[in-house]
Amino acid sequence: MTGLEILKITPSATVQDRGRVGFLRFGVTGGGAMDAYGLAEGQVLLGNGPDDAAIEFAEFGGEFRAIAPVQVALSGAEMTAQLNGHPVAWRRTVALSAGDVLNIGAAKTGVYGYLHVGGGFQTDVVLGSRSTHLRAGFGHVLAVGQKITAGSDRIVQERALPAPNTFESREIRAMWGPQSHYFSEETRAAFSAATLEVLPARDRMGICLSSSAGKIKSATGLSIASDAINLGDIQVTGDGTPTALLADRGSSGGYPRIATLITADLGPFAQLRTGSKIGLRMVKRSDAVQALDKFRRKINGLPKLLMPLVRDPWRMDDLLSYNLVDGVLRGDEDDAN
Amino acid sequence: MGLLVEFGEIYHPSINNAVLAFDQAFAAGRPTGVIECVPTFRSVLIRFDPIELEFDALEGHVANLLDKNDWYGSDAPSGRKHWILPTVYGGARGKDLGEVADLMNMREDQVVDSHAEASLTVAMLGFSPGLAYLGQLPDVWQFSRRTKVTPSVPAGAVLVAVRQVVLPCTPIPTGWRQIGQTPFRSFDVSAKKPFLLSPGDQVQFEPVSETAFQAFEMSDFLRTSPP
Repeated sequence: MTGLEILKITPSATVQDRGRVGFLRFGVTGGGAMDAYGLAEGQVLLGNGPDDAAIEFAEFGGEFRAIAPVQVALSGAEMTAQLNGHPVAWRRTVALSAGDVLNIGAAKTGVYGYLHVGGGFQTDVVLGSRSTHLRAGFGHVLAVGQKITAGSDRIVQERALPAPNTFESREIRAMWGPQSHYFSEETRAAFSAATLEVLPARDRMGICLSSSAGKIKSATGLSIASDAINLGDIQVTGDGTPTALLADRGSSGGYPRIATLITADLGPFAQLRTGSKIGLRMVKRSDAVQALDKFRRKINGLPKLLMPLVRDPWRMDDLLSYNLVDGVLRGDEDDAN
Repeated sequence: MGLLVEFGEIYHPSINNAVLAFDQAFAAGRPTGVIECVPTFRSVLIRFDPIELEFDALEGHVANLLDKNDWYGSDAPSGRKHWILPTVYGGARGKDLGEVADLMNMREDQVVDSHAEASLTVAMLGFSPGLAYLGQLPDVWQFSRRTKVTPSVPAGAVLVAVRQVVLPCTPIPTGWRQIGQTPFRSFDVSAKKPFLLSPGDQVQFEPVSETAFQAFEMSDFLRTSPP
């Protein structure tokens, strides 16, 4: 059995997989990784399955000690990382020996980074998923001293993936939805043309935005009853603040929703740093479907992007610890005969 | 992607009845590519995979089904269960009972009687896992929620406002007033059937003593309930 022991951790770090499906009618939202592509990168690097779980970091990481030899991979938003005090690259497999210490610091770009182990983290499955959903009471806050077990490791050849260009997006695509008509045409036009800034009020539940067009007015006297909130819906609360509702949102609500972010752009949206400025591009339903298809192909195409890593001896500062001469022949073995 | 089928804008038993009847009928012939359906007070959200199931095909299917029935006048969905939930009213388990009695201009025992006599329907589940919205209490229960939120009420709290009852399965912050608490838990993540109350189920609350509350065992209760 192997896995990682937590030496340091930030409270915003959680175990996440692809999330839960099918429980929205019981009040349970999907949860799951904020950046589905970022999660998939690590799974592909290690040869893990699409349902395997990773630790998701929000802006800051933690420190981990290998319980026994284990292969790990780092994906999603690139963060500073060190193995036993030496820098280690993002988006590649890393073989840890027992006792090795992996330190993950602040994000250099984007927000959500992922730490994977070969075979995935074996935390409890709740309603078909290992995703922590603290507001719903699923999973636990990760704690110092906790040991998280890894599944059966396949040990893949050392390999890496190229960085995607989905960080620092300037444009996020959205669709009008069934409640858009509660807002006047002028309000909608101003909202969709405005520059939106990511406010500090943000977490896995949602991201509050400020619009350059000012507070958003919905039709007066509005008293619609609560109904289901879809992933990516932008609700407008009484004070006129638009909030995009994400993985850990509540399942239902009564605030009118002006538009919905398309699924393909949810990862890039979640990766926007606080203070980022974006514009919305309103698209037709057919464009959103096409974008989803392209996004899925991109995830399915990840294995083709894998690059085998060849070790360069001149860059190994612990050269002596590598067994470089195994199986080398003297050349005179046959002479004895 | 989602397709929203709306039956109205407000909560009204006939609108909600249409929602529940449509949800059940749609489930019976659910096209491939539908991920899940979410019935609420006034609408059914159909979540589907738009690559497996084209929007136009789903919309056509929904339009056909809508034409087949007078959903507002339809019978209550079949197979719904009738639950009688033991409840301790007032005291520490219902600290807002006095305030509610004042709002309703009634004595506390009259409030409890009115609440326990009502036959309620699970209008929807939402907000937090397994939390049930039940309706509809008589007119006298038409008072609004508090503007100030109570930071936490316990699982099983019996909460009231706007002629509705809210029954949370986990501790939640709320603006609703707590008049009692039931030891019944609709949601148990470790159970074979994690959610007991379903949209459309009938619920009645039964006043019990603190002793009965303390002695309550979910497993015993489920041997005889729903009857």
